[in-house]
Amino acid sequence: MKKLTLFLICILFVGIQIVNAQVKSITGTVTSKEDGASIPGVSVQVKGTTLGTVTDMDGKFVLSVPSDAKILVFSFIGMKNLEVEIGNQNTFAVSMETDVFSVDEVVVVGYGVQQKREVAGAISTIKGEDIKLMPVQSFDQALQGKAAGVMITMPNGVLNNPPVIRVRGVNSITSSSFPLIVVDGVPVFTGDQSANSAASNALGDINPSDILSMEVLKDASATAIYGSRAANGVILITTKRGSGGKIKVNYDGFIGYTEPYNLFEMMNSDQYVEHKNRALANNPSQLASNFFIPTDANGKPINTNWADEVYQTGFQHSHAFSVSGASAATSYYLSLGYIDQEGMIKKNTFARKSVRFNLDHKVTKYLKVSANLNYTNSLNSAPNTGSLVDQAFNTAGAGRLAFVLPPNIAPYKNDGTYNIAGSAIGNMGQPVANYGYYNPVAIMDLCKYTAENDRVLANLSATLEPVKGLFLKTAYGIDNLSVESISFQTGLTGDGYSANGSATNTFARPNRWTWTNTANYDFTVIEKLNIGLLGGVEEQRTKYNSWSGSKTNVADPFFTTYQGSWVTAGMGGGTQYENYFISYFGRANINWDKKYFLEGSVRRDGFSGLAEGKKYGTFGGASAMWNISNENFVKDGTLGELFSDLRLKASFGKVGNMSGIGSYASMFLYGSGVYGAAPTWIFTQAGNPDLKWETSMKYDIGLSFGMLKDKIQVDLNYFKNDINDLILNVPQSPSKGIPGNTIPMNIGAMYNKGFELSVTSYNIAKGDFTWTTNFNLSTVKNEVTELAPGVTEIVGITAGLETTSRTLVGYPIGNIWGIETRGVDPTTGRRIFVLADGKEVTYSHENPSASRWQYLEGGGNAPAPVLNKDGKVLGSPLPTLYGGLDNTLTYRGFDFNLNLTYAAGFEIYNGSKAGLRDQRWWNNTVEVYETAWRNPGDITNIPKPVFNDNVSNGSTMVISENVEKGDYLKVRNISLGYTFKKLPGVLEISSVRLYAAIFNAYVFTNYTGSDPEVSTNGNSNLTPGIDRNTVPQARTYTFGVNVSF
Amino acid sequence: MKNIIKYAIILLAMVTGACSTDMLNPVPVTSLGELQAFDNKDRIVGQVNGMYAKIKDGAFLAGRFQVYNDVRADNFLPKSTNLVTNYATWNHTVVSSTNEVQNLWGAVYSAINAINIFLEGLDAKWTSGALNGIITEAEYNQYKSEALALRAISYFSMLQLYAQPYNKNAGASPGLPLRLKAYKTGVENDMARSTVAEVYAQILSDLNTAEGLAIDKYSTDLLNTTRIHKNTIIAYKTRVYLHMNDFAKVKAEAAKIVSANAPFVAATGVPFALSSTFAAIWAPPYTSKESIFSMPFTSTNLAGTQNSLAHYHHPSSSESYYLNTAAGSTFTKINDADARKLLFATGTVSGKTEYFCGKYPNFTVQTDYAPVIRYAEVLLNYAEAIVKSGNAVTQQAVDLLNAVRTRSYPGGAYTLADFANVAAFQQALMDERSIEFLGEGIRNMDLLRTLSTIPGKGGVSAIEPNSPTYIWPIPTTELNINKLMTGN
Repeated sequence: MKKLTLFLICILFVGIQIVNAQVKSITGTVTSKEDGASIPGVSVQVKGTTLGTVTDMDGKFVLSVPSDAKILVFSFIGMKNLEVEIGNQNTFAVSMETDVFSVDEVVVVGYGVQQKREVAGAISTIKGEDIKLMPVQSFDQALQGKAAGVMITMPNGVLNNPPVIRVRGVNSITSSSFPLIVVDGVPVFTGDQSANSAASNALGDINPSDILSMEVLKDASATAIYGSRAANGVILITTKRGSGGKIKVNYDGFIGYTEPYNLFEMMNSDQYVEHKNRALANNPSQLASNFFIPTDANGKPINTNWADEVYQTGFQHSHAFSVSGASAATSYYLSLGYIDQEGMIKKNTFARKSVRFNLDHKVTKYLKVSANLNYTNSLNSAPNTGSLVDQAFNTAGAGRLAFVLPPNIAPYKNDGTYNIAGSAIGNMGQPVANYGYYNPVAIMDLCKYTAENDRVLANLSATLEPVKGLFLKTAYGIDNLSVESISFQTGLTGDGYSANGSATNTFARPNRWTWTNTANYDFTVIEKLNIGLLGGVEEQRTKYNSWSGSKTNVADPFFTTYQGSWVTAGMGGGTQYENYFISYFGRANINWDKKYFLEGSVRRDGFSGLAEGKKYGTFGGASAMWNISNENFVKDGTLGELFSDLRLKASFGKVGNMSGIGSYASMFLYGSGVYGAAPTWIFTQAGNPDLKWETSMKYDIGLSFGMLKDKIQVDLNYFKNDINDLILNVPQSPSKGIPGNTIPMNIGAMYNKGFELSVTSYNIAKGDFTWTTNFNLSTVKNEVTELAPGVTEIVGITAGLETTSRTLVGYPIGNIWGIETRGVDPTTGRRIFVLADGKEVTYSHENPSASRWQYLEGGGNAPAPVLNKDGKVLGSPLPTLYGGLDNTLTYRGFDFNLNLTYAAGFEIYNGSKAGLRDQRWWNNTVEVYETAWRNPGDITNIPKPVFNDNVSNGSTMVISENVEKGDYLKVRNISLGYTFKKLPGVLEISSVRLYAAIFNAYVFTNYTGSDPEVSTNGNSNLTPGIDRNTVPQARTYTFGVNVSF
Repeated sequence: MKNIIKYAIILLAMVTGACSTDMLNPVPVTSLGELQAFDNKDRIVGQVNGMYAKIKDGAFLAGRFQVYNDVRADNFLPKSTNLVTNYATWNHTVVSSTNEVQNLWGAVYSAINAINIFLEGLDAKWTSGALNGIITEAEYNQYKSEALALRAISYFSMLQLYAQPYNKNAGASPGLPLRLKAYKTGVENDMARSTVAEVYAQILSDLNTAEGLAIDKYSTDLLNTTRIHKNTIIAYKTRVYLHMNDFAKVKAEAAKIVSANAPFVAATGVPFALSSTFAAIWAPPYTSKESIFSMPFTSTNLAGTQNSLAHYHHPSSSESYYLNTAAGSTFTKINDADARKLLFATGTVSGKTEYFCGKYPNFTVQTDYAPVIRYAEVLLNYAEAIVKSGNAVTQQAVDLLNAVRTRSYPGGAYTLADFANVAAFQQALMDERSIEFLGEGIRNMDLLRTLSTIPGKGGVSAIEPNSPTYIWPIPTTELNINKLMTGN
């Protein structure tokens, strides 16, 4: 790690010496005090000048110094700085001490690297080491609670389902709020790339073990260099590279198992039959006869726990192997990764094979070439979990089937065949004619959905240093992704039944190249005045091509693939688009004596998706920093003893968000189809030629300080993002007949503001015992301040069916919207709903439709509550406070880590609860069985069960009964390890660490759904915080080994 | 420093040289820009077919519109309580935000705007002379007539569910926002409702103009059934006038396409006639002379999930509707020998054999055409108008009724003497319509235009004409944005 970071300094950090008259040549060797080994890459500098060099692979250095030079400063990451008097010596043997409280000294920034303490922007760094052992599919799933201002939500426990990432709040309304992800300088594809139920997060193609560090750029100063794509923050991924010294060989492996937790406690057959027959007695006209418990083939009463049929304990194993090293001119990093995971849902698997080769070679003194080559194959497989975006109401959704199906029917008939009746599950003689829902065992056995990614992520760069300190770099990178999505639906039952089976294959090729040319020049004008300049040009072209084939009506059930024999060939589909960026950017920074820093950056982006004449936009940011700790009055005073670091920072800037602009968004378009067999042209897109970028004005004030020799390091930031010209898909009156009923327009405004605090504290480092704490806390307040003229609200729909959310001016985005309810009337057992005029009404499902709604006071027919008229804001699903707390303790060879994440100040719409209490034939929780109203005077919040009542518990409209506080504290990860260091020499193993870990160990919350960390609608801005029919989160136990040779 | 500048210039030159203006102005390869849409005749015909494709939306005439009008009424009982498959329409619990209510509105107005965009574009190009040499004046007239007729059909269809019947108060009730121009931009969201009478006036104006411009007939049976020609428009007018109780006009229109005596045929244009057998109407190629206007399907052009008529009527569908066989139901009025009863399919529901409408037998690949209007309806419209306009049962009316009835049930011929009064004839006629058009989406329209109570069924109460649920509410999405819109 040290050496790798060093390597980055060597290669990328740009320092320059102004060459003066040379008087004296000195040489020396630098070794480590701890083990006496030589240290390559140590910076050796004449104090007070920029004269210096670095030690070579053997820890040796040669340096010419002016005769009046007095002191040499040796510095190296992770070591204490050392000052040595030159005097008359010509050779030096220097021994450096490890600095346990060291901070990593460099930070990757846009198109470069900077010294951490010279960065004025708000950047959080997360080390690859911190996440590589987590049993996740993609690195982004492991970032929860790791950085202030970064909120990560895993939507549920479906493998490789893209997490929700929000950097400093939700930054758009109808465009994406997902940050830009840049891997080794190449902006990569993100999001779910699959065309079916097998989620395939594009970021899952990157082996977390290959990651050296992740930098989250948050404020305008840090992000403005990414111009029109910076508004949602930028995450820079830097992969590992070879470093000097001995060849390093590493193996990290783990095995583990995963299981669902917090499953609902559902009624068993006895309870179900008793409860539903009681409900039926309250509304007897609904069914011809009562429910009963049939017997199975062995004569035992049927009592199916459907969750057992859907969930499992999944096994997994992972292996990451790497070799890295360097000679004087060449360094390399080679890795192989393999992970094979079974999910907690049956048939849900993830397997990734990856190879990475990173190479750096110094061709001549002034020319260096570098290459990164990463090939990945990821195979995702899943049943229809009903837990991806827009799947919430699928009748095939496994998450829902696990609780909706009644216990008194079985997956198999007594003759051993699947219990199916057409597409749906069979009723086994129960009085319900048709359950409508599918038999999960049959469809999970017989249907198949996979998405397989082949991905080449590569770049090649050459860096020329024609003049000392000037680096001209050209870099060409590609992200070539191919995704083959295969789905097969059996014709025996389920979704494929009516078509007698169907097979659809989709092949997609999102491809992109990025060509970046930069010039970087850092120099010292006069003593103490340091200047850094960066200029660059970047082009990026993205082409998306996909096509699909679909066949139905299988010739013989023997065939289960598209290539088999089918009676009916469907029309294939596909998508084609391309877009292009041309960008010019520059950055200048200047500092005086490392005390006063100023930086400015600018980027001009041209984007093909905008209309002629509106293609270009200019963005920029500026920052200032005062490093107070470098002032003499601090350094030399008592303050200096207290503060090892004290910096005041401020930045502002304007950045953009282009994610909402489609490749052809400005155009009026006609699409073609068929009418019977005749080809058609139809107006399909009302474009907007006036469309332009969304812009954010970002402001940031920060204070960073280190106390007690950096034992405590604190970053405190206040930020405000003013987002203007939001691209709103402005709702149009449906009667205008505009395709999609929306037109994208730059209208509307919103802001996010809040505080961020992150603290790293080396609490104890005594002898064999160390205790380190990382804590971060973020607050964010979001408010929509303007929508389109005449548009007072934007309605958010969950999975195309349920109106759950509403975005209103003066409120945070994506509020939960519904009808207020006030418990259950103890006298009648009816749910009390509140109308807009404040009048309370009750609902009696068994009445004729005209008299179902009655006024609570005085009775009489009342109007039915209507969402539009009687609805109100029931809560905001955006946490206003969140963060993480990480404690690591080591004692001798033992290490223990406890990682907590938390979020507070938000509400969740527990839509699943409406289903869990629904009084149709649907199974209910034991809570319903035990606490539903029975007799006058009963105090309960579950109304009198009336068969087929789908209103009282919220299935037909959102009610406040089902909106709950989501505050939680989650034990994200616990691990305990032991490292064997002094191993017998014959094995030539330098260390072996064994560990055990639990991921998603426990949740403390009052939320009654399975997990308050949930997002049925994925990354949606307008419908966040909805929990509808989704599978729960998974808990994973792992046992692993890390071996270094 | 000089070197630095030199290198910087080289670098910049290298890069800007590579920047391509083509890449900055990409042209979509799967969509057509607005300017090219009238470039040649094929594209213009493509746009004409595009309008038909719009009214053939899954939420509209590809199936759901017909299903709404059947399941609202009394002939069907649902297998499934799934709200997605129109359960709320069936039990009269739809509200402003119910999917059926929002989706139909959206689909029809989307079709109307597509039609208006075509009309505006066609007229502008024609007037400017840009179409000279591309299409003839006859073709221009024909395309325009098709567009106008499709707009009329769209508005008429919407009135059936979103507005009170014309006959309630001669159309004084709130109707629909009359959108008659092309909308492409974000302005003019607000538009008040015209009255029912005003919407009918527009429908008739469009149909009358269209009739004058329409083509007499096409070259193939397929086109005659799936595209609009002069007789299609006339046939549809009999339906529109009947809904306005303008019996004289119904007679006048019907007389243009119904011969004075049996066998009834259209003398000019496409020679409409009853199909010799009832079953033949529902079998490929679906283009009998009786099928005046139907929505075509192919295996690659289907109605979409949970939209097709087969999905709602086939016994194999888990979400289909079976026939209400309760006492007094239409089912009980069909003779066992009636070909229309023989067409019924059977299936098991809750262990009991139930009957299903058998008009859409292709379940695996749901390509059975969806009917919009048949010649049988014209004959019955004619019969009803004759009797109601003269307030007397005539032999001609009985003949027209018998033509439809005896084709399927030869033993069931009525005589003049069978009808003691006009009411008796009307009852027989309404029963005949209910039997004949089962599963074609006519029943609810018939009940409403005659201001009848929607009878109860399977635990669902009857809906009186003064009930707020007699018609659908206006969708939330419209009320939210269109500030001049009012609810029902």
